[in-house]
Amino acid sequence: MQNGAMLTRCSTAAALVVLLAIGGGSATVPALPVAAVEAQQPGAALALTLPNKGDSLKFAVLGDFGTGSKQQYQLAAQMKRVHDVFPYELVALVGDNLYGSERPQDFRKKFEDPYKPLLDAGVKFYASLGNHDAREQRYYKLFNMDGKLYYSYKASKQSVRFFALESTYLDPEQVAWFEKELKDSNSDWKIPYFHHPPYSSGDRHGSDTRLREVLEPLFIKHNVSVVLTGHDHFYERVKPQKGIVYFVVGSGGQLRKGNIDKRSGLTAAGNDQDLAFMVAEINGDEMWFNAVSRLGQVIDSGVITRRK
Amino acid sequence: MSDRIGRHVLALIAVASFSLSACGGSAPPSQTAAQGTPGTQAPADQPVNPDAKALAGFLERVNEYVVLHQKIEHALPGLSKATTPQEIDTHQRTLGQQIQSARREAKAGDIFIPECQAVIKRLLARVFGGPDGQALKASIMDENPGIPNLTVNGRYPDTVPLSTIPPQVLQGLPKLPEEMEFRFVGNNLILMDVHAHIITDFIPNAFPQ
Repeated sequence: MQNGAMLTRCSTAAALVVLLAIGGGSATVPALPVAAVEAQQPGAALALTLPNKGDSLKFAVLGDFGTGSKQQYQLAAQMKRVHDVFPYELVALVGDNLYGSERPQDFRKKFEDPYKPLLDAGVKFYASLGNHDAREQRYYKLFNMDGKLYYSYKASKQSVRFFALESTYLDPEQVAWFEKELKDSNSDWKIPYFHHPPYSSGDRHGSDTRLREVLEPLFIKHNVSVVLTGHDHFYERVKPQKGIVYFVVGSGGQLRKGNIDKRSGLTAAGNDQDLAFMVAEINGDEMWFNAVSRLGQVIDSGVITRRK
Repeated sequence: MSDRIGRHVLALIAVASFSLSACGGSAPPSQTAAQGTPGTQAPADQPVNPDAKALAGFLERVNEYVVLHQKIEHALPGLSKATTPQEIDTHQRTLGQQIQSARREAKAGDIFIPECQAVIKRLLARVFGGPDGQALKASIMDENPGIPNLTVNGRYPDTVPLSTIPPQVLQGLPKLPEEMEFRFVGNNLILMDVHAHIITDFIPNAFPQ
């Protein structure tokens, strides 16, 4: 019997959730109007709502970030602030890691420099490729792709396996590989991530229904609970679809303001007003998550219970 | 010809046969290729399917290109699993320049020979003519601005994103060696050397009208 992944909104009253307050922030942060967001500095108060247990797997999710813009650097600084109090060990990259040219100086400006504090702290970045990414990125040591366009890896803590797919060229061999990997994995949490979102309210791109047609049956069959994607340049948590929670985290470097189509009926929570990344924590059957904006606001939070 | 290439040719011919039957809804290509389906090469006394022959001709030329590619690439320092951006860039550009030099006489239609262009256009017409045709085309045209002055043996522009090829379309096209990929640039189907960032050949106006 398969149950849908259960998702509940975090609150300060949740017994398991311990507030991590930085600079006197609170757990509930109301959304600010756009003008206020623009006026604020990235060093504003930060409040996370995550258990932060010692034996949890802690990770971050980032997508569509490699612009080299000031805003990308500001978000990267926010990621470090979060890491200081919530020491996530890896970052799942959902593609579009470098926009434009990919000369050595671009790797520095668009990746190595903004995330240097995290790299220096030992955080590992595991990349998937987007439509703006050259295939050679798979050889880049800091992307940990092991020379492969698609690959999987087991997390160091908890029963979690990640699957990084290449969604711009999902050929029959990759689909067959993915199904075998899912089937062979005995991890409790099987978390695929890739660039194109099977579900998205993006006015620019939106749901990739062709991809969904091929991948969703595999997700359902193999008890996937959470899928991480990008491509649309905002943050969105999609209402559970057939028991699975889809995230769009394409908000890492190049925002498309106002691009969430509210008429899609898909959005459980979304933010298209500021850059954002996501942090998550898995312990046992539960995954807590916070989406954090460039200004340090927790713009979404919740906990997902895995499908069984 | 290396053993690897020789094996690949056989697999490609098998998949070419699959690609022609795929539009009629047969098994997925990975199964067909992996099983080495009997009968993929017609006995001498049986008529040869002209479409299969055209695709086999295309794949033979792809293979010849890959032999050249590998000969040049193997002479270069290899890319390890932990390479620096400088090494990646040097490798890619050196490989590209040497292939361009070796193929300086290359022209459109050298690999996508005319007979195969007609077959591939028909394959695509069947895929895009189905009920999902418009959605498939929309997926491909998403962030697909095209390239002015598309040139065979030219470098794929660094600033142009790669088009996404939906799995339903890839299932209908012949399987390529690891070095090569199909991509759409505008409504042109290109054959891309993904290691060297070179447009190896292209079919203009490949989308069915």
